[in-house]
Amino acid sequence: MKNMIRNSLRTGIVFGIITVFLFLVGFTGTAANILADLLNNESAPPLFGWAPPMLNTVIFVGLIGLWAGASGASREKDVAGDPYGAAVLGGGIAGFVQGLLTGLVMALVGTLNERGVMMSKYLAELLPAAVKQAMLGFPPPGAGAFYLLFLTAAGALGGLATRGLGRGGRRPREAIRTWAREKVEVLPWVQSLRRSPAVKYAVYGILLLGILLLPLFAGQYWNYTIGTVGIYVLLGLGLNIVVGLAGLLDLGYVAFFAIGAYAMALLTAPTPHNLMWNFWLVIPIGILLAAVTGILLGAPVLRMRGDYLAIVTLGFGEIIRILSKSDDLSDFTGGPRGVPAVAGPDFFGLNVNSGIAFVYLIFLSVLLVIFVTNRLQNSRVGRAWEAMREDETVSRAMGINTLTQKLLAFAIGAAFAGLGGALFASRNQFTGPEDFNLMVSINVVAVVIVGGMGSIPGVIAGALVLKGLPEMLRQLEDYRVMVFGALLVVMMLWRPAGLIPSSRRKMEIDKDAGLAETAEEGRGK
Amino acid sequence: MKRQTMILVSVLVLSILLAGCGGGTTAVAPTTKPADTAAPATVEATAPAGEITAVAGVPAICADDGACAVIKPGVTVKIGMGAPMTGDNAAFGQDISQAAKIAVEDAGTFAGFSFELLAEDDGGSAEGGAAVANKFVADPTVVAIAGHIFSGATLAAMPIYEAASIPMMSPSATNPPLTAQGSKVFNRCVFTDAAQGKFAATYLFQNLKITKLAIVHDGQAYGQGLAQVVSDEFTALGGEVVAFEAVTPGESDYSAVLADIASKSPQALYFGGYTAEGVVIVNQMKQSGLDGVTFFGDDGTFGQDFLDRTGANGEGAYSTSLIPPASDARAIFDAAYLEAYGQPAGKLSPYTWTAYDSAAVLIQVIKSVAILSDDGNLYIPRAALVAAVRAVKDYQGLSGTITCDAVGECSASGPVFNIVKDGKWVEAPK
Amino acid sequence: MPIQKEPARRVKPYQIIQAVTGIGCAGYLLYRLYTVLIGSPTYGTETWARFMIAGLILGSVYALIAIGYTLVYGILRMINFAHGDIMMIGAFGGYFTLEAAKSIPAGGSNFSDAYPFAAVLAAFLAGVAIAALSGYFLEKIAYRPLRGAPRLVPLISAIGASIFLENAAQLLFGAQRRDYANPAVLTRGEGWTLVINGAKVILPYTGALTVILSLLLMVALYMLVMRTRLGRAMRAVSENKQVAALMGIDVDGVISQTFIISGALAGAAGVMWGLHLGLVYHFVGFIPGIKAFTAAVLGGIGSVPGAMLGGLFLGLVESLGPAVLGISFQLKDVIAFGILVLVLIFRPTGIVGEALTEEKV
Repeated sequence: MKNMIRNSLRTGIVFGIITVFLFLVGFTGTAANILADLLNNESAPPLFGWAPPMLNTVIFVGLIGLWAGASGASREKDVAGDPYGAAVLGGGIAGFVQGLLTGLVMALVGTLNERGVMMSKYLAELLPAAVKQAMLGFPPPGAGAFYLLFLTAAGALGGLATRGLGRGGRRPREAIRTWAREKVEVLPWVQSLRRSPAVKYAVYGILLLGILLLPLFAGQYWNYTIGTVGIYVLLGLGLNIVVGLAGLLDLGYVAFFAIGAYAMALLTAPTPHNLMWNFWLVIPIGILLAAVTGILLGAPVLRMRGDYLAIVTLGFGEIIRILSKSDDLSDFTGGPRGVPAVAGPDFFGLNVNSGIAFVYLIFLSVLLVIFVTNRLQNSRVGRAWEAMREDETVSRAMGINTLTQKLLAFAIGAAFAGLGGALFASRNQFTGPEDFNLMVSINVVAVVIVGGMGSIPGVIAGALVLKGLPEMLRQLEDYRVMVFGALLVVMMLWRPAGLIPSSRRKMEIDKDAGLAETAEEGRGK
Repeated sequence: MKRQTMILVSVLVLSILLAGCGGGTTAVAPTTKPADTAAPATVEATAPAGEITAVAGVPAICADDGACAVIKPGVTVKIGMGAPMTGDNAAFGQDISQAAKIAVEDAGTFAGFSFELLAEDDGGSAEGGAAVANKFVADPTVVAIAGHIFSGATLAAMPIYEAASIPMMSPSATNPPLTAQGSKVFNRCVFTDAAQGKFAATYLFQNLKITKLAIVHDGQAYGQGLAQVVSDEFTALGGEVVAFEAVTPGESDYSAVLADIASKSPQALYFGGYTAEGVVIVNQMKQSGLDGVTFFGDDGTFGQDFLDRTGANGEGAYSTSLIPPASDARAIFDAAYLEAYGQPAGKLSPYTWTAYDSAAVLIQVIKSVAILSDDGNLYIPRAALVAAVRAVKDYQGLSGTITCDAVGECSASGPVFNIVKDGKWVEAPK
Repeated sequence: MPIQKEPARRVKPYQIIQAVTGIGCAGYLLYRLYTVLIGSPTYGTETWARFMIAGLILGSVYALIAIGYTLVYGILRMINFAHGDIMMIGAFGGYFTLEAAKSIPAGGSNFSDAYPFAAVLAAFLAGVAIAALSGYFLEKIAYRPLRGAPRLVPLISAIGASIFLENAAQLLFGAQRRDYANPAVLTRGEGWTLVINGAKVILPYTGALTVILSLLLMVALYMLVMRTRLGRAMRAVSENKQVAALMGIDVDGVISQTFIISGALAGAAGVMWGLHLGLVYHFVGFIPGIKAFTAAVLGGIGSVPGAMLGGLFLGLVESLGPAVLGISFQLKDVIAFGILVLVLIFRPTGIVGEALTEEKV
């Protein structure tokens, strides 16, 4: 009992802080607008004297209250006696604490606002009108009291709901899973379907077909996003070789991306050199240049390990960017203004520069790169890389020339980035130094890790998350990037092995995370 | 390994083949719809401003699919804006979208239709600019763009709007080459770096009698471009540019580079860039040995924020602006801005007023070309709108008179030079 | 590592390359030094003094932030990418304290001008406290559940946290850049005036305060790590978590305390940054964070004296490098990273790095 109350108190405090934070960053107002879109009640008549903006604020806060109550209650599985009462009590306590924090802040902010204090000088979102909306038409102390009561009630209701929905304490998700395991999976035809390879291929086939047909229906905006995701898949696959297979942390991967892009831009654009080469000719040049740079940069530094390599590569990435915008080279690179009017591809005289065709071009490149990666991964080279990642010393003892192998990984990874960069510049018809900042490298590392190191489907999933998700979050307006950052953390906490981990790594992480670490520590000394 | 070499070789051969077949047609021709050229650009001329053309059924020039934006009753007419709303330059995007929002609110309703500003985050980058542009183009009710803000994003977005016949009016992209791309849709209501740089160099050399000038820029498209122009013009006039250096934007210690400049003993320091870095330079000049050297900033350093943040150090500093010192319209706007956002206008960026103008002028042009049909829909002919924006003449905005020329330069007023006197910007003696 | 023993001492090709590059770079550096100092002196003594002052101040702030990276790295072998943002939070803590002090009337003017010592102390305490608290919660929420996950996973979590903190700060406080309201006696840009070579060279008060305070803090931290019980526990956990746990050390507790200390140092650095350079906004921690990370690696990540040396070295390279090499200041980071590469080629674990090299990604 005591334990339950402590848990509920803690939940209440956490949710209270979250609610106050959301209010202070002005998210309650934005959430009200989003709700208005969802419920389509923008011009609905006032309810309880609240016009839709206020009503939606109340609904949003209430939803958080329900959630607080649900998590406040669900911690304790079975309190002797009355499970419903315990749930309501737990949820209510969480809601009460949340309401207390929220109410106090609201009352304080409201009072200051009424006295004409301009809080927005320090807290940007606390504009008089926004604060007034949050007061819901009450005087500030009344608003505080309302939030307290309302959130307590919502919490209690949320607590009750967990019991009601969860069939005596069991969470609905678990219930469905058990039902599936016990009732469905034992059926003979399900079993035979699961084992049949035809079904597997059919599923893959349908999936592939779906992806291939997508650009025809997605519309220009989503096609652009799909194209960006595709380019990041290319980058991710390249870095996957370097980080995921060969185990070299490269934080300056953007350098090769930039070289591919600048090769395309400088050789095909009318300014600054007026070379106007053909797109198809420049693609292999961009790839080659990137690969050669990979070898040149890699040769002196690949003897470094781990994070030393990371910072040196980071430095290379920054050096390339700074040089590309510097005054000394601006006649050659176009300087900070970048290079406009980069050429697009033409295919037997047919211009492929329209949105849909370019997406297919990116698809084609992705398929090609997947094919190459797949073949490499299962070849002698790929096995050498993985051996090197697992233990460099042992792999050297086994006769692997680690330096050559590392250079090869670096060069191939760079080549993929070069291809991605060339396509990127051509598609945007523009290239400038600001496209190649540190965040690109970091995003690509995140693509690989979020997707699952060493896994090709993982890279695709990672690119979808990293580049698709921010576009999907556009509804959240200014809060988009903040939410994205939080989701990145949550995703790592939820699936540390990545969204679709490679089978081998999954085994390692699932079975003996602790053990693997011990081994690593021991080896370190 | 052998097979991989084979694959590589065949890819190379294939691409050379493709290149050969492509044969020279590398220049990117924007795909313009036939409707664009067919549409008569005279429609709007017949309708006096503020009065709407009314027709029955679908207007003739809207017969082709996509030639017009069709706004159904109850739907807003949307003005898009791509701006950096997050990250290092978020202040620009916030400020410019806030000012434009006021313009949209001021526009009121129009034959029962109201306007709406869609401000999207483009991060200031080319990638973001293109993403946002594609998003706007996909929305059939977006008819014009008050943006973009940075030239990288603008360059990437331009071809996309070009293909969709959506006019742009940028309040802040001052890079000279932007209007040299042959774009039909791109316009801007700020003066170019070329004009500003020439005026500034002349003023420095002739009015302030400076012969040894140091030039610093922020290494970004805007600042570097401007600094280059000033350097060229100043040398052409016969002055000596003793130092041409760049600072890294976002950093807050420039005392080393300033000490280097001090060793060349210039009489004045011209800065191409924005307030954020300009303020740091002004505040660190004294301790770096540049005591008594005149600071001369561009239009990116003009504004209240510069005064607030340089204090006594800013006394005697120059900057450039296209803002007439004061007008009634501006006073009303400034009050509205303060009321709505709790900050004085011009505090977040120097482009507040042009941002208002860019949205306001677009709205006025939209009103002049829109056609109200008896089926209740509002038709906005896209090609006519593009042509009408380019034809804007003598529009009185907060930042002066706006008249667009053949390539889309719409700021008619020349730069005004200002000097800080007793903590206030006053117009510098001509 | 017995396997690495070579049968005979044979000069390897890379060693030749190393030697040639080394001699070439050293020779060029000497030549440049000769040129700018004796051959055709570009700068007077006063300019060199200004470079040194700027470099030392910046370097000592870098050093303070770098120690935070190095402490966390030493214990968890992870790059705490959000460390720069902790500094930003600390800077905001100090900013609000000083704003409050400015608005309280006292002694004829306001509290800040009347009692500058108390006001600055309060700013430091507030900045340090809020940054330490953020460090603690950051570890608890974003890193602790990932103990035992592959090493890159916490890195991504840290990147997520960094993005979150930057944008949360932007939304909370707005996007505009703010200035520290220093007490009157500590006005930025004011300082002792030295006359060198006939020219005035200003040694800013705030800069002197920054250097002295960060040196004091560094010494204090070094004593803490080497002399105290907690320091011993930290070193033990850094050596081997399992064995440390077996010896009765509360590993999680030590890690928490490490994050508190590293956050506190970042907070102090943030307030110094604000006092000396004045600027505070949501992105202010990003560049110093990257620079300090570089400094930590330069010195040898995991080593506290290494971080100090690395920070000071990097600060000096940034201000003196372009001048000595005769390159434009725009390329100062190119020089800094170039030197980093050179140092790491010769000493793969940094200037005073630990001997440990067998690290995996």
